[in-house]
Amino acid sequence: MTTERDSSPYVQVENLVARYGNRTILDGVSCSARRGEITVILGGSGSGKTTLLRHIVGLLTPAAGRVLIDGRDIHRASEEEQEAILRNVGMSFQGGALFNSMTLEENIALPIIEHAHANRETAYTLARMKLALVGLERAAQSLPAEISGGMKKRAAVARALALDPGLLLFDELSAGLDPVTARELDELVLRLKAQFDVAILVVTHELSSIQMIADRAIMLHAGKVLAAGTLDEVRSMDHPHVRAFFDRRPRSTVVQHGLLDALLVDGGDHGENPA
Amino acid sequence: MLTNNHISGALALAPLREQVLKRAEPGSRVVVNLSGVQKLSGLDAAALLRLVIEGKEKGIEVRFSGLSAEARQAFTGLDASLLEHAATPTESLSPIEEVGEQTLDLLATARRLLEMIGEITYWFFIAPWHGKGVKWERTGEQIVKIGLDGVPIVSFLSFLIGAVLALNAASQLRQFGASIYIANLVGVSMTREMAPLLTAIIAAGRSGSAITAELGTMVVSEEIDAMRTMALSPGRFLLLPRVLALLCAVPCLTVLSNLAGIFGGYWVGVIVLGLGSRNYLQQTSQALLISDLVTGMVKSTMFALLIGLVSCYRGFYVHGGAEGVGTNTTASVVTSIVLCILADAVFTTIFFYFD
Repeated sequence: MTTERDSSPYVQVENLVARYGNRTILDGVSCSARRGEITVILGGSGSGKTTLLRHIVGLLTPAAGRVLIDGRDIHRASEEEQEAILRNVGMSFQGGALFNSMTLEENIALPIIEHAHANRETAYTLARMKLALVGLERAAQSLPAEISGGMKKRAAVARALALDPGLLLFDELSAGLDPVTARELDELVLRLKAQFDVAILVVTHELSSIQMIADRAIMLHAGKVLAAGTLDEVRSMDHPHVRAFFDRRPRSTVVQHGLLDALLVDGGDHGENPA
Repeated sequence: MLTNNHISGALALAPLREQVLKRAEPGSRVVVNLSGVQKLSGLDAAALLRLVIEGKEKGIEVRFSGLSAEARQAFTGLDASLLEHAATPTESLSPIEEVGEQTLDLLATARRLLEMIGEITYWFFIAPWHGKGVKWERTGEQIVKIGLDGVPIVSFLSFLIGAVLALNAASQLRQFGASIYIANLVGVSMTREMAPLLTAIIAAGRSGSAITAELGTMVVSEEIDAMRTMALSPGRFLLLPRVLALLCAVPCLTVLSNLAGIFGGYWVGVIVLGLGSRNYLQQTSQALLISDLVTGMVKSTMFALLIGLVSCYRGFYVHGGAEGVGTNTTASVVTSIVLCILADAVFTTIFFYFD
């Protein structure tokens, strides 16, 4: 279902291991994302999705493994190289992470002025173009505190687009929003895919959003890649956790070895399965 | 060898526990018949689970039988792994471990602080040669916030301190007919000691806390991370402008504080005590040495640096959300003031011997 314009992936994560203290968050994760495709990283809360994203943009340093963006290792790059890599990456955070002391257009103009060395007028014009792209041209002068959650997320997307990056990363883009706004954001992501030649990585656990936007899916569970492939491939897998996720079965019913079995003499007979 | 001990009756957990754990042989299997029990409260269920866990530790296999459907509800949907994670209370560290832990913490703090100093130094001394100049515009904004906006309070408080010093001295010096020496006392103590320290304390309370709270909030709302992903260095955009602004504004405020303090003394001397205006000013200018002014300025610059580093560090390493911002802001002000007074003591001692 996906066309492979570019055979080499734009982002390649190889055997990434992340530890926090002596807790392993990511345990040998490998995955990739290509230009022109939306790759969704999915999994339950605490499965390491956000941690993976933070490693990809170099906010966290892995204990082992590497992340290649356009063939360059972001964690072992010199400072200048890293800057060059990051100029080609746009990320929106869970809460938007807009600079609260600046208006929306200032937020977006900042990276443009700093990196593209544009003069202020051009930078602000470009900032307004990016805002218009996400439908926020009228809120250009607003401060982040003055706009709604959905608008913040759209503004964060506009800021991620500021430097026309080759890689877009969205952390929980449509989470915590009302269904209509969430859908608008999903449509925005699809529009970006159609309009620009970018690799898009979306972290989410919203099933509706996954079904709408994903070309490929990577499912994480307890720090490991449980399933990876096209959305249809992943969706049709038999693994109990994958099934539980797509069939929206709550975790307690996936329990393989119930407590009652261990406690009762006449355990499994009629103790199992509360409907 | 398995023996079956059937215990039946209503749920009396304490005796049950006693019976199971004390009487049963290790390696045996105890089946507790709970058929008389209609319903299990959460606490009962937890106590039963605890019994199984403790039994397991002693090598006794505890099982239940005859649990009613309603009572089963307390255990349904839970994983058997609960039995493995025996709830062990958190172990308290031995004193030696405690010392070790604290030392490691201190080392980590020192390392992070040095890293931050390194970063600030890099952006000030080295990066400008590579075409990444200091953000003067942002520094200017901060100077206005820290310096200009602090002018009223610094001058007002310094005036009061100067006047109070003069009044206190007057009651003593008047006895010897040496009232005019109030000018010396106020002039020297303001320039060498009071003005730098007072300004530092005001700066720590007004600006240091603001810096910590602002940076801390940015950390919590992921703004700093967002900056990093845009390849904008927080060191260049946030830390250096604030530290530079403090280094510039605090000494300026100290000069102002000197003037206001001396004016406070002058006001008391001339208006209240009736010393001649010209006399007072002449006495002041004779009393003050360049070295007094320089000493005060050196101290003041040092205090500014301390406040800058402490408040930036505290803001940058906030943990634990909004509460963390509050805790670190308080800590920032307290640490700044303590360090400033400590540094003051050290400096004064040094100047005492080498002046």
